[in-house]
Amino acid sequence: MKNALRVLRAERNWSQADLAERLSVSRQTVNAIETEKYDPSLPLAFKIARLFGKLIEDVFEPEEPARVEREELET
Amino acid sequence: MNAPTKDTRRSGTWICIATAAVAAVVYFAARGLLENPALRPPLRTVIALVPVPFFLFFLLTELRLMRRLDELERHIQLEALALAFPAVLLLLLTLGLVELATPLSPADWSYRHVWIYCLGFYGIGVAVARRRYQ
Repeated sequence: MKNALRVLRAERNWSQADLAERLSVSRQTVNAIETEKYDPSLPLAFKIARLFGKLIEDVFEPEEPARVEREELET
Repeated sequence: MNAPTKDTRRSGTWICIATAAVAAVVYFAARGLLENPALRPPLRTVIALVPVPFFLFFLLTELRLMRRLDELERHIQLEALALAFPAVLLLLLTLGLVELATPLSPADWSYRHVWIYCLGFYGIGVAVARRRYQ
């Protein structure tokens, strides 16, 4: 899953450690999410979105368009 | 409920390591005593069971630590166990078959020797899973 975490964090001049502390996770977790090696759980994804004052879909984007979107594109 | 802080996770890790170290010391002390043939049952049985409460205490602190871990670290632990458990099963099944094929020396292949492979497989599992998310 793609995400805008690195950009959002950079906009606020937060280090990975700063963000990790705000989210109560380890810095490794923040790094793994940013490098798209790990997809966060839904509660953590909501927490991230809320922290940046965004909607969850503004922060996270699926690799492929959702099935409904694909069907709309096909018709 | 608030998520555990880095400090509480770190202190939990050290408590877990300390209880594991105590359990290991008690285990090796019991093992050392049991190698003395002068000791007779039922004292031998009592000594063999002395480490059990220490292992149980370690198990409790380890479970408490697991609950404090963040979600990625839990994921890593799960993947490590997913590798280690079948590997240990495979080892035990293979040893069982080899034992049927040819007698294995109890001096090298007994319960008190095989446990180290469990730790080894778990360590490999943690290393593999951690590397995946680095």
